[in-house]
Amino acid sequence: MQRKRATNLFWNQQQKIAPYLFIAPFYLLFVVFMGYPLISSLVMSLYEMRGFQSRIFVGFGNFTDLFRDPIFWKSLRNTAYFAAGTLILQLPIALLLAILLNSKFVKGKNFLRLAFFAPVLVAGVFVAIIFNLVYDQRAGLVNQEFVLFGKEIGWLNEENYVMPAVILTGVWQWAGFNMIYFLAGLQGIRQELYEAAAVDGANWWQAFVHVTLPSLRPVIAFVVVVSMIGSLQLFDLPFILTNGGEPADAGSTIVMYLYKNGFQFMRLGYAATIGWVLFFIIAVISIVQLKLLGIFRDE
Amino acid sequence: MFRFPIDVESFPLGKGPMVMLVLFLISTLFIFGRSEEHGEDLEFWIFANTHYEEYQARVPIFEAQNPGVNVQLINFGGTMHDKLLAAMLSNFGAPDLVEVEITSIGRFLKGAIDEVGFLDLRPRLESEGWMDKLVVSRFTPWSYRGRIFGIPHDLHPVVLLYRDDLFKAAGVEMTEVETWDDFIAAGKKATRDLDGDGKIDQYAIVLDRRTESDYFSLLLQQGGGFFDEDGTVIIDSELAIETLAFFTALFNEHKIATPVYGTWHGDPSNFAAMQDGKILSILAPDWYVGILKSQVPQMSGKWKAVGIPAWHPNGRRTTTRGGTMVGITKQCKNPDRAWELLKFTYFDRPGLVNRYETTRIIPPLKAAWDAPIFKEPDVYLGGQPLGELFIQLAPDLPPRYQNPYWSEGADLLNDAIFAAVTEKQTPREALTDLAEKVRALMAKDSSRWGERNH
Repeated sequence: MQRKRATNLFWNQQQKIAPYLFIAPFYLLFVVFMGYPLISSLVMSLYEMRGFQSRIFVGFGNFTDLFRDPIFWKSLRNTAYFAAGTLILQLPIALLLAILLNSKFVKGKNFLRLAFFAPVLVAGVFVAIIFNLVYDQRAGLVNQEFVLFGKEIGWLNEENYVMPAVILTGVWQWAGFNMIYFLAGLQGIRQELYEAAAVDGANWWQAFVHVTLPSLRPVIAFVVVVSMIGSLQLFDLPFILTNGGEPADAGSTIVMYLYKNGFQFMRLGYAATIGWVLFFIIAVISIVQLKLLGIFRDE
Repeated sequence: MFRFPIDVESFPLGKGPMVMLVLFLISTLFIFGRSEEHGEDLEFWIFANTHYEEYQARVPIFEAQNPGVNVQLINFGGTMHDKLLAAMLSNFGAPDLVEVEITSIGRFLKGAIDEVGFLDLRPRLESEGWMDKLVVSRFTPWSYRGRIFGIPHDLHPVVLLYRDDLFKAAGVEMTEVETWDDFIAAGKKATRDLDGDGKIDQYAIVLDRRTESDYFSLLLQQGGGFFDEDGTVIIDSELAIETLAFFTALFNEHKIATPVYGTWHGDPSNFAAMQDGKILSILAPDWYVGILKSQVPQMSGKWKAVGIPAWHPNGRRTTTRGGTMVGITKQCKNPDRAWELLKFTYFDRPGLVNRYETTRIIPPLKAAWDAPIFKEPDVYLGGQPLGELFIQLAPDLPPRYQNPYWSEGADLLNDAIFAAVTEKQTPREALTDLAEKVRALMAKDSSRWGERNH
């Protein structure tokens, strides 16, 4: 009897701490794999590492070096170029596709949804390998079409065409994925709103501007912010497509430059600095976007 | 009757989590409680598939000769160097032996020389008399400040592969081309617009203007380099500027060179251009011939090879490109045993003959060169004994001095070459700017680190 009472008391205590034990794995993993590396990299950004054991405190020396580094600025410009391409080209295309697939006039919607979504299922490395062939100067699919107009573009060999090539590849891979978000948003808009607009005499465009877009605002905010973060973290696609950012760093991005400094040049402190600068850029852009899109506004 | 020691029913959230917890504990005990296999393990990391296949076939022989030794070959492919870097940084998890690629070794040499993660193999090489048996110039990529951190896997002499049929059709006999001036004259005849549409249909040579590969090979042939033996930057020397001026002139002045199709010489579109007869010659190291054989077997019999044109009459007819070393890491528990495995894979004559058979790679061990296989006619080259040509050129290979700043330097050199070829800068401006940047980087490190830099 006494033994049973003791057992129950033990399990009663266990029930109190059990929830904490069950969520503990996440927090432990977070601390080990996120918290510690974050703090460690912040400390590392204040040091210059050399070899496998030596480090020297340089304060904000890495940051001042970075802001004077022309390749960093070029990588930043390329990354911003890609982000702008995403914003101006990829997301409107994704919205357009979603509107078309939401329309009752389009047939074979399930097939088209799958077809547009499928590219995102292909790993970035393979996408880069495929598009390396697509952009081939002589026999590539794109130039086969352009040659008809007497122009043979060196998509991956000429500085001015490298980033457009990367942006177009990004559109191919990600437009269908973002289309799914927009489609979900469109299907959530109440039909009564369109009916009310029609009663008020609104045409298709007016309904789009005054009903569709405002209703999609949370979805647009989400897609824009997530796409921007993804764009600023761009790495594998241009790294493979341009063979490490060549020619003349025309395809270099911030994360690629971080990787090169950390792993190829063994400048770990400098690489950590690039990582933290990128973090601040992403944080500021995300907050500004969310503000502009009115996500912090009380409805 | 057996009674479960705890009350299962009162376990939080029921039986399911209880079962999961028990399974977790059992599997953890199984994994961590497993006894180590008897014997000694040697871990050997590799990044190249062809090397992995070769060692996979030969390691059982070594294990049979050394009872109780288990060799674990691990092929990480292209990510291996990053994994090795992480293992050396954390001072944990590095293999006993590892192969490192020539463009990657520089980063492992950063910092004080005593902190380099590889053992200095010079004492073993010298005490066992191996230095004289190998091509000495091939130790330079793997040496720094007097220490030898790796044994060369290869020599990688470069020859000029050319389309004999197409050059002959243009009235050129390539075996008579001795110098680069001869080549330019021959190239002008062979670079032609065949259909009269105003566009060039075949170029005398294909060169990579995006990366340092071809330019740097030519610079090494001249006896130049990025750094000299003492680590001084010499990429803005008159020799380097003259070589870059020559390189750009092949494209812009003589118009006999075409930029590589695609992103490098091994790009499928480059192979397609070769098959279409757009490319009449290419600077080819031994390993590249192996790639051609596997990627474009349909071109068998169409190529021939000669030593690359010399800069001056009776000058050097070869250069070198690429390379791999094997090193023993400082984390190795039994360096003597690792050294035995290293010698078995790198200095064993039957193995080296087998290596040539499968990859066309010429070994640095001179004693292996008299094997009959190197004299055999090569069907891919229309019966020409290619091995014999490589071996004939091998003793004249130029040194390629290694430096911890090679990775940064090579990255900037790529930009300088592209700027010069696209005429954004003169060769002098491009190389002077480049040298200043690298010197500034080294000076900054020196000022911060002082003596500890070395």
